[in-house]
Amino acid sequence: MGKTKVSDISRAGDEQLLELTSLDWMTLPCPSDQPLSIRPLPDEQRSQIEHSLDGISALGIPKPTSKGEEDGLVQSFLNGLRKLLSHDDNWTFWQPLVYSLESCVKCQTCSDACPIYLSSGKQEIYRPTYRGEVLRRIINKYIKKGGRISSKLKGEEIDLNWPTVARLAELAYRCTLCRRCAQWCPLGVDNALISREIRKLFSQELGIAPKELHDFGTIQQLSKGSSTGMTPVAFRDSIEFMEEEIEEITGRRIEIPIDKEGADILLLHNAGEFLSWPDNTEAFAIIFDALGISWTLSSDLAGYDSVNYGVWYDDVQLARIVLTHAEVANKLKVQKILIGECGHAHKTLLVIADRILTGELNIPRESALPLLEDAVCNGRIKLDPSRNDFPVTLHDPCNLVRLTGIVEPQRRIVRKICPQFREMEPHGVENYCCGGGSGFAIMSSRNFPDWKMTVSGRMKFKQVLDAFQDVGDPEAERYVCAPCSNCKGQLRDLLSYYQAREKHSVFYGGLAELIVNAMVDLEQPFIQWEWH
Amino acid sequence: MSGIVLFFFYGSILICIIASVVRMTKYARAPLHLRWELYRGSSVYELTDWWDRSPPRFGEKLRVVILDILFLREFYHRNRSLWYFLFLFHIGLYLLFLWHLWLLITAVTLPFESAWTGGLAFGHVATLLSLIGGSGILIKRIVDKELSVHYPRIHYLKWVLILLILLGGFLAVVFHFDSNLPELLGYVKAQVTFQDMELKLHPALAPASHVFFVSFWLLYLPFSHVLQISFRYYQHLRWDDVPNRQGSTIERKVKGHLDRPISWAAPHIKSGKRWGEVIGDTEDL
Ligand code: SF4
Ligand code: SF4
Repeated sequence: MGKTKVSDISRAGDEQLLELTSLDWMTLPCPSDQPLSIRPLPDEQRSQIEHSLDGISALGIPKPTSKGEEDGLVQSFLNGLRKLLSHDDNWTFWQPLVYSLESCVKCQTCSDACPIYLSSGKQEIYRPTYRGEVLRRIINKYIKKGGRISSKLKGEEIDLNWPTVARLAELAYRCTLCRRCAQWCPLGVDNALISREIRKLFSQELGIAPKELHDFGTIQQLSKGSSTGMTPVAFRDSIEFMEEEIEEITGRRIEIPIDKEGADILLLHNAGEFLSWPDNTEAFAIIFDALGISWTLSSDLAGYDSVNYGVWYDDVQLARIVLTHAEVANKLKVQKILIGECGHAHKTLLVIADRILTGELNIPRESALPLLEDAVCNGRIKLDPSRNDFPVTLHDPCNLVRLTGIVEPQRRIVRKICPQFREMEPHGVENYCCGGGSGFAIMSSRNFPDWKMTVSGRMKFKQVLDAFQDVGDPEAERYVCAPCSNCKGQLRDLLSYYQAREKHSVFYGGLAELIVNAMVDLEQPFIQWEWH
Repeated sequence: MSGIVLFFFYGSILICIIASVVRMTKYARAPLHLRWELYRGSSVYELTDWWDRSPPRFGEKLRVVILDILFLREFYHRNRSLWYFLFLFHIGLYLLFLWHLWLLITAVTLPFESAWTGGLAFGHVATLLSLIGGSGILIKRIVDKELSVHYPRIHYLKWVLILLILLGGFLAVVFHFDSNLPELLGYVKAQVTFQDMELKLHPALAPASHVFFVSFWLLYLPFSHVLQISFRYYQHLRWDDVPNRQGSTIERKVKGHLDRPISWAAPHIKSGKRWGEVIGDTEDL
């Protein structure tokens, strides 16, 4: 197959623009260098679902059944595009979108930064600039005055038809919005934002979004209370269970406060912690108890789930959840909201929400990491680093680090309490995404999981293996610290997929767990090395 | 013909100014957007009670912007092989700009004989730097496959035009003005003071062609990316850390945006109302 051109996106029919084969992919160190394959969609799905981009379906878009339906969808896409370019409908991101669309000089510096492009063996359609170029050409030809003539003159070919629209929708979900490309771009062009704006157009105009993000995500969070489906009653039960577990470990009953009006702090956890990693929530409770902090959790709708999947695909859902979180805090009359180990909750509530909340809803919001850093580095709790004497590396969640600028507190903590800490390369604001960013960690429909394990998570897996390269004993437990719930979800799946637990003794977990594991007051180790 | 050159030259300046103002107004009128920064390192969010800390000062921001523009530092760090030529080209252009400024000021303020004799050499060095840089970029754009990805055909012509301008200017000074500085200054003075209409209406070929190519470039300039980059809006991506305080201008603008109409068509949006109403409505989702 020759090099894929921008205009190929308009190619009629089901023919894929890319056949994914592991022969092209970035090599992994032995023994993980086995050829892997991505399951093709079953024939029934192939006949019903759009898959002509790369044979993967993240969205499960049904194929239109008539020409009329196709034309209607293309027209809706164009309407949405006009709205993306309108101040009223897109005041939220008009400026960075237009800047990004108009300022690219095609130096391709960003391509060298993209883990997906690199891991896939430099496939053209995954190049950070590919989506932007498609969108730019459609706007130039179909929205701007005299566009058809000027597009011809410039040689910027593209046809807006249903295959273009369907492929573009899927393509917006082959980017983790890690924004490493934007960090690299000398002109500040943000191709990740372009991916997000395309996702947004599909969600806000055509009602097309991954079920995991929309129906089971933001909608469920706003109607049932959590994107996990956990109800307030189930939440309370899980907290009770955690209190019992804490008692077993510490020998003391520590109350986890819920809905305590007038507490200083409302702690927001990603509800995934309660279900999959309760030890993280327990660790926070133990630390806060040791520090004597006045805090509470909330059992209100969305008050026990810090996630905001809107940040990945829909401004309206994003804003609705932001408002709901602020209202919960307001109702409890807390001084501030503290955000637990969830990267995108940091980015959303600390940074983005600042231009949504007004008046009394603009409650102070802060990361839990500076508080943990203060506890560890200023000796507010007694710690014995020798209890963490195993190899530890630190993953930098994109949303927490590159996108919010919280880089050092977690490092100062692990340096202080983990004698065998080693950085992965690259690290800090230049670290690679776990491959589960922008919702991928929870998107598990059809053959998409295969893609996120083999392609989008490939770079992270390699980094993890490289970080522990010098550890001689194959049995020695290695710990990847990921202070983010979504990253933990992706790491769990990634390490299982490559059997890294069995083959390389790699384990993963959060930051608070490492702190509690080093607490001298605890008689037994807190980290149990049990796979969740 | 000569009249056309004259008309074209002054017309292109006028169009360049008008189009630039229109384009700049478009960016200046952009609505205040949601925050979306990227960080090169630690941010204010590493601190407790960060909202009480002052954001980075304007002077610091300006210093970084100037260093970025002068030395193209981002290219230096991220794309060194392109940077060598880009840097030569840009530094040459900045120097050429200074040189033209010097020419204009000297032409109208000093007796030509007392003008700085190194002036010509200065101009030649600046032109040479730009020529080497520009040719390097053009060649790289042609031979390096990576640099031709998505690069529009018309941009190759842009580079040829720029090289013609540079070369044309150089040849005009060396051959038409015989590298004679007072003569060159005399010509510039006549141009800017509208003294010698005869010279304007019947310009010699060398300076006329230089002016002709520059006019083309002036027409293109407002539509290139140069203009908005000079705005450096992207600095919002880096340092938009000014918090939205109660009663602030930012808060007033946000409230204004929440009062804008919204018309997205997906059912969950429940459009047809104002942003504020739509995002406050989570019933029956
Ligand atoms: S680095 Fe920036 S300017 Fe260069 S191709 Fe990528 S987006 Fe465009
Ligand atoms: S945001 Fe990340 S995954 Fe997406 S194009 Fe940029 S570098 Fe690649």
